[in-house]
Amino acid sequence: MYTNGYIFRYAAIMVIVAAALLSLAAVLLKPFQDRNMAIEKMGGILASAEVEGVETDNTIELFNKYVVEELVVDKDGNGDPYTDGKMEDGPAFKINMKKELYKENKGEAYQLPIYIVNKDGETIYVLPLRGVGLWGPVWGNIALKEDFNTVAGVTFGHKGETPGLGAEITTDGFCNQFKDKEIFDDAGNFVSIKVKKGGVQSMPQNMQIHGVDAISGGTITSDAVSDMINDVLLAYLPYIQKQRAQ
Amino acid sequence: MQEIFNIFIKSIFIDNMVFAYFLGMCSYLAVSKTVNTSVGLGLAVIFVLGITVPVDYLLNEFVLKEGAMAWLGPEFVDVDLSFLSFILFIAIIASMVQLVEMIVEKFSPALYASLGIFLPLIAVNCAILGGSLFMQEREYQNIAEATSFGLGSGVGWFLAIVGIAAIREKIRYSNVPPALRGLGITFIITGLMGIAFMSFLGIKL
Amino acid sequence: MSTEIKEREPLFSPKNMKLLTTPLNLSNPITVQVLGICSALAVTAKLMPAIVMSISVLVVMAASNVVISLLRNGIPPRIRIIVQLVVIATMVILVDQVLKAFVYDVSKQLSVFVGLIITNCIIMGRLEAFAMANKPWPAFLDGIGNAMGYGIILIIIAFFRELLGSGTIFDFRVIPQGAYDFGYVNNGLMILPPMALITVGVIIWIQRYYTRELIEEN
Repeated sequence: MYTNGYIFRYAAIMVIVAAALLSLAAVLLKPFQDRNMAIEKMGGILASAEVEGVETDNTIELFNKYVVEELVVDKDGNGDPYTDGKMEDGPAFKINMKKELYKENKGEAYQLPIYIVNKDGETIYVLPLRGVGLWGPVWGNIALKEDFNTVAGVTFGHKGETPGLGAEITTDGFCNQFKDKEIFDDAGNFVSIKVKKGGVQSMPQNMQIHGVDAISGGTITSDAVSDMINDVLLAYLPYIQKQRAQ
Repeated sequence: MQEIFNIFIKSIFIDNMVFAYFLGMCSYLAVSKTVNTSVGLGLAVIFVLGITVPVDYLLNEFVLKEGAMAWLGPEFVDVDLSFLSFILFIAIIASMVQLVEMIVEKFSPALYASLGIFLPLIAVNCAILGGSLFMQEREYQNIAEATSFGLGSGVGWFLAIVGIAAIREKIRYSNVPPALRGLGITFIITGLMGIAFMSFLGIKL
Repeated sequence: MSTEIKEREPLFSPKNMKLLTTPLNLSNPITVQVLGICSALAVTAKLMPAIVMSISVLVVMAASNVVISLLRNGIPPRIRIIVQLVVIATMVILVDQVLKAFVYDVSKQLSVFVGLIITNCIIMGRLEAFAMANKPWPAFLDGIGNAMGYGIILIIIAFFRELLGSGTIFDFRVIPQGAYDFGYVNNGLMILPPMALITVGVIIWIQRYYTRELIEEN
């Protein structure tokens, strides 16, 4: 039989060893992981603007080349531009979307990033997205053309959506549907883009430009993408309206 | 108050751990032979979920979350220990399960014997870790909401396992093809129950 | 424990081989022991994730079985669950962290499975039932055998769910366009979790039809 003292000693040593191993790994590997995550974030921004030839090795280089300006916008729609220096060190790139959207939700002041990409003379505005899926966070980027209405491209990412179902939001087949869709109706009212269960065909004719097909079997994730686009674009709306008015 | 009640109802029916998320299936399928044992296991799950979710909530709120250590002093504001959340959650769960195991062994040896290996396996009952991770993800506002979510999920799981156990007790008198008897037919019934439960999915509270 | 020196068993003695082969059919973890169902539902909508999951489970199971088997004489029974889970979780998280730092693309594919592997009851079930009472080498074989039995079922389910649900295999379209023109539609129900349960039910039916000794009393 084991004495209580032995059990406590055993548990204590085990916990210390496990915690030490994990902390060590976390501390030592953090710089590498952060770099990988930054590269993924840049890759997503470039991919939504449809910049071609992005590989892991050249992402940072391409990001600094194509992104010509970063903006930090507030809830009144004022943009604070950043153009000099490396784009990866810009204030917009460091913004934590989750925290800012949480503030927005509570009605506090918030700051959101916008990346302005210049692709062969064409100006594209990339807005990062973030929301909650079925099992964890989902995120992405939506790229708008100069009219702040037409979608140039999107990318999505997720932490743990069901493989083969919700996880399909990252596929080209799903993302390409968003291209050339519009976020405002003809009267200039904001309608966002809806991920429609049952397919775009089931929507009224004049609404089809604002909808894409949902993923079959991935209803909750599809709804999450819909909500995410709507909620985040609403947070950006003051800025977008201002730009459209000009 | 209303919010707490909403979360409770929602986690029982709409976000049912078994039928909406298909979590906690192993013990659900294996221990649902009779209503008596499933009531015992169901109560154990309610108990474990009802304790681990609030405990993990406190842990998350005051230790793990980025900036959670701020109460220790301003120099701790930037500490982010969320990489430890998996292992700490599972450690809390495992110790609770061990506690339940000792209690059940002491007070109800019959139930202990019939639960067999599935009592320790509550620890890896994904419904329970799932409960804590959902709690972390959904960012409940206070401990009352977290507790109500934990208890609601437990009750949902309890209802599911008692329901299938009752069906299995009835099915004993039916003429099931021999090869399908027992486990096979249980899988199929669970699938059908899952399809039925999908009708709750659209409800918003 | 007797102090006599036992005759050394050959590495692949018939007894050891049995550890590898029985989980494939007679004591299959999913269809007979009812372990690891949640993950079997979560990753089988497409073939690729099912295969990735099977391989990950194979690695984690073999490793944790060996570790627990080595520690088995020192683990106090009262806290054995915590010890087992800490061992599994530490290993899985460590591997995930290393992958995240050095092969980020692979880790992106795998990160979804990390939580599923830790809570996969098949791993803890085998630790509890086998590794706690056996030497490292048999424990290793038991881990491999059970992981293969688990993987086979996963791949069968995923094959049918992907074929009937999406009309593809490994994301390649295999059902000809002509069939769709003729009025064939993919069965959307197949990619929902309830149909995975029913597929397992049918697999059990077929397996028990041919393996009579598994048939249960009513």
